[in-house]
Amino acid sequence: MVFRFQTILLNLVFYSLFFIVSTAVIPTLTLVGMVLFPFGSWRKTLARVRTLIKVYGRVVLALGWPFIRVYAERKGGPVPRPCIYICNHRSSSDGFLAAMLPGEGVQVVNVWPFKLPVLGFFARLAGYLSIREMTASEFMQRSEKLLAQGVSIVAFPEGTRSGSQEMGPFHSTLFRLALKTGAPIVPVCLSGNEKTPPKGSGVLHPARIRVRTLTAVTQEDYAGMTPFKLKILVRDRIVAELKIMESIQ
Amino acid sequence: MQKEKIIELVNEVFVEDFEMDPAHLTPEAHIFSELGLDSLDVVDLVVALQKKFNVSIRDDERIRNIRTLKDIYDFIESLDNEISSK
Repeated sequence: MVFRFQTILLNLVFYSLFFIVSTAVIPTLTLVGMVLFPFGSWRKTLARVRTLIKVYGRVVLALGWPFIRVYAERKGGPVPRPCIYICNHRSSSDGFLAAMLPGEGVQVVNVWPFKLPVLGFFARLAGYLSIREMTASEFMQRSEKLLAQGVSIVAFPEGTRSGSQEMGPFHSTLFRLALKTGAPIVPVCLSGNEKTPPKGSGVLHPARIRVRTLTAVTQEDYAGMTPFKLKILVRDRIVAELKIMESIQ
Repeated sequence: MQKEKIIELVNEVFVEDFEMDPAHLTPEAHIFSELGLDSLDVVDLVVALQKKFNVSIRDDERIRNIRTLKDIYDFIESLDNEISSK
Protein backbone atom coordinates (compact mmCIF):
# COMPACT_ATOMS: atom_id res chain seq x y z
CA MET A 1 0.00 0.00 0.00
CA VAL A 2 2.78 2.42 1.00
CA PHE A 3 4.81 1.32 -2.02
CA ARG A 4 1.83 1.93 -4.31
CA PHE A 5 1.35 5.40 -2.84
CA GLN A 6 5.05 6.15 -3.29
CA THR A 7 4.88 5.01 -6.92
CA ILE A 8 1.90 7.26 -7.68
CA LEU A 9 3.52 10.22 -5.94
CA LEU A 10 6.85 9.58 -7.67
CA ASN A 11 5.26 9.55 -11.12
CA LEU A 12 3.10 12.60 -10.48
CA VAL A 13 6.04 14.61 -9.16
CA PHE A 14 8.63 13.29 -11.60
CA TYR A 15 6.69 13.77 -14.81
CA SER A 16 5.40 17.22 -13.74
CA LEU A 17 8.92 18.33 -12.87
CA PHE A 18 10.34 16.65 -15.98
CA PHE A 19 8.03 18.73 -18.15
CA ILE A 20 8.65 21.96 -16.24
CA VAL A 21 12.41 21.47 -15.92
CA SER A 22 12.81 20.39 -19.55
CA THR A 23 10.95 23.45 -20.81
CA ALA A 24 13.11 25.65 -18.58
CA VAL A 25 16.49 23.90 -18.60
CA ILE A 26 16.76 23.01 -22.30
CA PRO A 27 16.23 26.57 -23.58
CA THR A 28 18.54 27.92 -20.84
CA LEU A 29 21.31 25.48 -21.69
CA THR A 30 20.78 26.16 -25.40
CA LEU A 31 21.14 29.87 -24.71
CA VAL A 32 24.35 29.23 -22.74
CA GLY A 33 25.66 27.19 -25.67
CA MET A 34 24.76 29.92 -28.17
CA VAL A 35 26.40 32.64 -26.09
CA LEU A 36 29.58 30.58 -25.84
CA PHE A 37 29.48 29.51 -29.51
CA PRO A 38 31.65 32.38 -30.88
CA PHE A 39 34.34 31.61 -28.29
CA GLY A 40 36.39 28.68 -29.44
CA SER A 41 36.47 26.08 -32.18
CA TRP A 42 33.70 23.75 -33.37
CA ARG A 43 35.42 20.99 -31.41
CA LYS A 44 35.10 23.09 -28.26
CA THR A 45 31.46 23.79 -29.05
CA LEU A 46 30.79 20.06 -29.35
CA ALA A 47 32.49 19.47 -26.01
CA ARG A 48 30.23 22.11 -24.47
CA VAL A 49 27.12 20.55 -26.01
CA ARG A 50 28.10 17.19 -24.52
CA THR A 51 28.71 18.78 -21.13
CA LEU A 52 25.34 20.51 -21.23
CA ILE A 53 23.61 17.23 -22.15
CA LYS A 54 25.31 15.68 -19.15
CA VAL A 55 24.12 18.51 -16.89
CA TYR A 56 20.58 18.01 -18.18
CA GLY A 57 20.88 14.24 -17.62
CA ARG A 58 21.95 14.74 -14.03
CA VAL A 59 19.15 17.21 -13.39
CA VAL A 60 16.60 14.69 -14.72
CA LEU A 61 18.09 11.94 -12.53
CA ALA A 62 17.70 14.19 -9.49
CA LEU A 63 13.98 14.72 -10.17
CA GLY A 64 13.06 11.31 -8.80
CA TRP A 65 14.59 12.04 -5.41
CA PRO A 66 13.95 10.79 -2.73
CA PHE A 67 12.15 7.81 -4.32
CA ILE A 68 14.83 7.22 -6.94
CA ARG A 69 18.40 7.67 -5.75
CA VAL A 70 21.31 7.30 -8.09
CA TYR A 71 24.82 6.51 -6.85
CA ALA A 72 28.02 6.60 -8.89
CA GLU A 73 30.52 4.00 -7.67
CA ARG A 74 33.98 3.05 -8.78
CA LYS A 75 35.67 -0.29 -8.31
CA GLY A 76 39.32 -0.49 -9.29
CA GLY A 77 41.59 2.30 -10.37
CA PRO A 78 40.80 5.60 -12.02
CA VAL A 79 38.82 5.52 -15.23
CA PRO A 80 41.14 6.01 -18.23
CA ARG A 81 40.07 8.62 -20.76
CA PRO A 82 39.12 8.28 -23.47
CA CYS A 83 37.71 4.79 -23.18
CA ILE A 84 34.89 2.61 -24.39
CA TYR A 85 32.25 2.27 -21.69
CA ILE A 86 30.45 -1.05 -21.96
CA CYS A 87 27.20 -1.00 -19.98
CA ASN A 88 24.44 -3.53 -19.36
CA HIS A 89 21.05 -2.32 -20.56
CA ARG A 90 17.83 -2.80 -18.60
CA SER A 91 15.76 0.33 -18.95
CA SER A 92 15.05 3.35 -21.12
CA SER A 93 16.51 5.51 -18.34
CA ASP A 94 20.00 4.10 -19.03
CA GLY A 95 20.76 6.90 -21.46
CA PHE A 96 20.30 9.35 -18.59
CA LEU A 97 22.40 7.17 -16.25
CA ALA A 98 25.29 7.61 -18.68
CA ALA A 99 25.46 11.20 -17.36
CA MET A 100 27.07 9.71 -14.23
CA LEU A 101 30.10 8.46 -16.17
CA PRO A 102 33.26 10.56 -16.04
CA GLY A 103 34.59 12.49 -19.01
CA GLU A 104 33.28 13.68 -22.34
CA GLY A 105 31.36 10.97 -24.13
CA VAL A 106 28.96 10.16 -26.92
CA GLN A 107 26.47 7.33 -26.79
CA VAL A 108 25.93 4.60 -29.32
CA VAL A 109 22.17 4.49 -29.83
CA ASN A 110 19.51 2.73 -31.85
CA VAL A 111 17.48 4.88 -34.20
CA TRP A 112 14.67 5.78 -31.80
CA PRO A 113 16.48 8.27 -29.50
CA PHE A 114 17.11 10.41 -32.58
CA LYS A 115 13.38 10.53 -33.17
CA LEU A 116 12.60 12.03 -29.76
CA PRO A 117 11.42 15.63 -30.01
CA VAL A 118 14.08 18.16 -28.92
CA LEU A 119 16.29 15.53 -27.23
CA GLY A 120 16.84 13.81 -30.58
CA PHE A 121 18.06 17.04 -32.10
CA PHE A 122 20.62 17.55 -29.34
CA ALA A 123 21.74 13.90 -29.50
CA ARG A 124 22.41 14.32 -33.22
CA LEU A 125 24.13 17.66 -32.64
CA ALA A 126 26.40 16.11 -29.99
CA GLY A 127 27.50 13.47 -32.50
CA TYR A 128 25.77 10.48 -30.93
CA LEU A 129 26.22 7.41 -33.09
CA SER A 130 23.03 5.87 -34.47
CA ILE A 131 24.51 2.48 -35.20
CA ARG A 132 21.65 1.22 -37.36
CA GLU A 133 21.83 4.24 -39.63
CA MET A 134 25.42 3.71 -40.70
CA THR A 135 27.59 0.98 -42.14
CA ALA A 136 30.05 -0.89 -39.93
CA SER A 137 33.00 0.86 -41.57
CA GLU A 138 31.40 4.30 -41.14
CA PHE A 139 30.76 3.51 -37.49
CA MET A 140 34.39 2.45 -37.04
CA GLN A 141 35.67 5.57 -38.77
CA ARG A 142 33.57 7.98 -36.71
CA SER A 143 34.31 6.17 -33.45
CA GLU A 144 38.04 6.11 -34.15
CA LYS A 145 37.96 9.84 -34.80
CA LEU A 146 36.08 10.50 -31.56
CA LEU A 147 38.53 8.41 -29.53
CA ALA A 148 41.44 10.22 -31.17
CA GLN A 149 39.85 13.51 -30.07
CA GLY A 150 39.71 12.25 -26.48
CA VAL A 151 35.98 11.50 -26.50
CA SER A 152 34.79 8.31 -24.84
CA ILE A 153 32.21 6.02 -26.42
CA VAL A 154 29.31 4.87 -24.24
CA ALA A 155 27.66 1.70 -25.50
CA PHE A 156 25.04 -0.86 -24.57
CA PRO A 157 26.16 -3.88 -26.61
CA GLU A 158 23.10 -5.96 -25.76
CA GLY A 159 21.46 -3.75 -28.38
CA THR A 160 18.12 -3.78 -26.63
CA ARG A 161 16.82 -3.45 -23.09
CA SER A 162 16.69 -6.73 -21.22
CA GLY A 163 13.89 -5.42 -18.98
CA SER A 164 15.03 -7.69 -16.15
CA GLN A 165 18.11 -8.68 -14.20
CA GLU A 166 19.04 -11.09 -17.01
CA MET A 167 21.63 -9.94 -19.51
CA GLY A 168 21.40 -10.61 -23.22
CA PRO A 169 24.29 -11.62 -25.51
CA PHE A 170 26.65 -8.85 -26.63
CA HIS A 171 27.21 -7.60 -30.15
CA SER A 172 30.91 -7.55 -31.00
CA THR A 173 31.27 -4.23 -32.89
CA LEU A 174 32.55 -2.25 -29.89
CA PHE A 175 35.09 -4.91 -29.07
CA ARG A 176 36.36 -4.85 -32.63
CA LEU A 177 36.71 -1.10 -32.22
CA ALA A 178 38.79 -1.59 -29.06
CA LEU A 179 41.03 -4.15 -30.78
CA LYS A 180 41.50 -1.81 -33.73
CA THR A 181 42.23 1.35 -31.72
CA GLY A 182 43.76 -0.05 -28.53
CA ALA A 183 41.26 1.95 -26.47
CA PRO A 184 40.68 0.68 -22.93
CA ILE A 185 37.30 -0.84 -22.15
CA VAL A 186 35.59 0.17 -18.93
CA PRO A 187 32.83 -2.27 -17.92
CA VAL A 188 29.88 -0.51 -16.29
CA CYS A 189 27.27 -2.20 -14.10
CA LEU A 190 23.85 -0.54 -13.98
CA SER A 191 21.90 -2.02 -11.12
CA GLY A 192 18.46 -1.25 -9.66
CA ASN A 193 17.28 0.42 -12.88
CA GLU A 194 15.12 -2.40 -14.27
CA LYS A 195 11.91 -0.74 -13.06
CA THR A 196 12.71 2.87 -13.80
CA PRO A 197 10.63 2.33 -15.92
CA PRO A 198 10.11 -1.39 -16.69
CA LYS A 199 10.32 -2.38 -20.36
CA GLY A 200 7.04 -1.65 -22.12
CA SER A 201 5.84 0.80 -19.48
CA GLY A 202 6.34 4.43 -18.57
CA VAL A 203 5.61 3.99 -14.86
CA LEU A 204 8.61 4.64 -12.65
CA HIS A 205 9.07 2.63 -9.48
CA PRO A 206 11.06 3.67 -6.41
CA ALA A 207 14.62 2.40 -6.74
CA ARG A 208 18.16 2.65 -5.55
CA ILE A 209 20.22 2.76 -8.72
CA ARG A 210 23.94 2.17 -8.80
CA VAL A 211 26.26 3.01 -11.68
CA ARG A 212 29.47 1.15 -10.97
CA THR A 213 32.56 1.38 -13.19
CA LEU A 214 34.92 -1.57 -12.97
CA THR A 215 38.66 -1.84 -13.53
CA ALA A 216 39.49 -1.06 -17.15
CA VAL A 217 40.41 -3.84 -19.55
CA THR A 218 43.43 -2.37 -21.28
CA GLN A 219 45.17 -3.14 -24.53
CA GLU A 220 47.78 -5.01 -22.51
CA ASP A 221 45.02 -7.24 -21.10
CA TYR A 222 43.33 -8.01 -24.39
CA ALA A 223 46.34 -8.24 -26.70
CA GLY A 224 46.01 -11.28 -28.97
CA MET A 225 42.37 -11.90 -28.11
CA THR A 226 39.65 -12.40 -30.70
CA PRO A 227 36.69 -9.97 -30.62
CA PHE A 228 34.52 -12.84 -29.46
CA LYS A 229 36.79 -13.73 -26.57
CA LEU A 230 37.04 -10.08 -25.53
CA LYS A 231 33.29 -9.54 -25.50
CA ILE A 232 32.76 -12.70 -23.45
CA LEU A 233 35.45 -11.58 -20.98
CA VAL A 234 33.85 -8.15 -20.49
CA ARG A 235 30.32 -9.57 -20.33
CA ASP A 236 31.39 -12.15 -17.73
CA ARG A 237 32.95 -9.40 -15.58
CA ILE A 238 29.73 -7.38 -15.66
CA VAL A 239 27.59 -10.44 -14.89
CA ALA A 240 29.84 -11.43 -11.96
CA GLU A 241 29.86 -7.93 -10.50
CA LEU A 242 26.09 -7.50 -10.86
CA LYS A 243 25.67 -10.77 -9.00
CA ILE A 244 27.75 -9.40 -6.15
CA MET A 245 25.97 -6.04 -6.17
CA GLU A 246 22.51 -7.58 -6.18
CA SER A 247 23.15 -10.30 -3.63
CA ILE A 248 24.01 -7.76 -0.94
CA GLN A 249 21.36 -5.16 -1.73
CA MET B 1 33.86 -37.59 -44.56
CA GLN B 2 32.24 -39.28 -41.59
CA LYS B 3 29.67 -37.24 -39.68
CA GLU B 4 31.63 -37.80 -36.44
CA LYS B 5 34.71 -36.30 -38.07
CA ILE B 6 32.71 -33.27 -39.25
CA ILE B 7 31.36 -32.74 -35.73
CA GLU B 8 34.85 -33.03 -34.30
CA LEU B 9 36.33 -30.51 -36.75
CA VAL B 10 33.47 -27.99 -36.40
CA ASN B 11 33.76 -28.18 -32.63
CA GLU B 12 37.50 -27.65 -32.96
CA VAL B 13 36.78 -24.36 -34.74
CA PHE B 14 34.65 -23.19 -31.84
CA VAL B 15 37.27 -24.22 -29.29
CA GLU B 16 40.30 -22.89 -31.18
CA ASP B 17 38.91 -19.71 -32.73
CA PHE B 18 36.28 -18.76 -30.18
CA GLU B 19 37.86 -20.33 -27.11
CA MET B 20 34.61 -21.98 -26.12
CA ASP B 21 34.21 -24.61 -23.48
CA PRO B 22 33.67 -27.96 -25.31
CA ALA B 23 30.97 -28.79 -22.75
CA HIS B 24 28.76 -26.07 -24.30
CA LEU B 25 29.05 -27.52 -27.78
CA THR B 26 25.90 -29.61 -28.01
CA PRO B 27 24.17 -30.12 -31.38
CA GLU B 28 21.08 -28.19 -30.28
CA ALA B 29 23.07 -25.20 -28.97
CA HIS B 30 21.79 -22.00 -30.62
CA ILE B 31 24.80 -20.15 -31.98
CA PHE B 32 23.32 -16.69 -31.29
CA SER B 33 21.33 -16.90 -28.07
CA GLU B 34 23.29 -19.67 -26.36
CA LEU B 35 26.83 -19.49 -27.74
CA GLY B 36 26.73 -15.67 -27.98
CA LEU B 37 27.77 -15.12 -31.59
CA ASP B 38 26.51 -12.13 -33.56
CA SER B 39 26.43 -11.43 -37.29
CA LEU B 40 30.04 -10.20 -37.32
CA ASP B 41 31.21 -13.26 -35.39
CA VAL B 42 29.49 -15.38 -38.04
CA VAL B 43 31.77 -13.78 -40.63
CA ASP B 44 34.75 -14.90 -38.52
CA LEU B 45 33.16 -18.33 -38.16
CA VAL B 46 32.76 -18.67 -41.93
CA VAL B 47 36.43 -17.75 -42.44
CA ALA B 48 37.49 -20.31 -39.84
CA LEU B 49 35.28 -23.04 -41.36
CA GLN B 50 36.63 -22.30 -44.83
CA LYS B 51 40.14 -22.71 -43.51
CA LYS B 52 39.36 -25.86 -41.55
CA PHE B 53 37.50 -27.68 -44.38
CA ASN B 54 39.33 -26.03 -47.27
CA VAL B 55 36.08 -24.93 -48.93
CA SER B 56 34.60 -21.65 -50.13
CA ILE B 57 31.27 -21.02 -48.43
CA ARG B 58 31.29 -17.24 -48.09
CA ASP B 59 28.60 -16.70 -50.72
CA ASP B 60 26.56 -19.78 -49.92
CA GLU B 61 22.97 -18.72 -49.22
CA ARG B 62 22.44 -21.66 -46.84
CA ILE B 63 24.60 -19.94 -44.23
CA ARG B 64 21.72 -17.54 -43.59
CA ASN B 65 19.58 -20.40 -42.30
CA ILE B 66 22.10 -21.62 -39.75
CA ARG B 67 20.84 -21.32 -36.19
CA THR B 68 22.28 -24.25 -34.24
CA LEU B 69 25.49 -26.26 -34.20
CA LYS B 70 23.56 -29.14 -35.78
CA ASP B 71 22.70 -26.84 -38.69
CA ILE B 72 26.45 -26.31 -39.22
CA TYR B 73 27.19 -30.04 -39.04
CA ASP B 74 24.41 -30.75 -41.57
CA PHE B 75 25.54 -27.92 -43.83
CA ILE B 76 29.13 -29.13 -43.92
CA GLU B 77 27.94 -32.70 -44.47
CA SER B 78 25.79 -31.69 -47.45
CA LEU B 79 28.69 -29.65 -48.81
CA ASP B 80 30.96 -32.68 -48.44
CA ASN B 81 28.43 -34.87 -50.27
CA GLU B 82 28.19 -32.34 -53.10
CA ILE B 83 31.97 -32.25 -53.49
CA SER B 84 32.21 -36.08 -53.40
CA SER B 85 29.52 -36.53 -56.02
CA LYS B 86 31.25 -34.19 -58.50
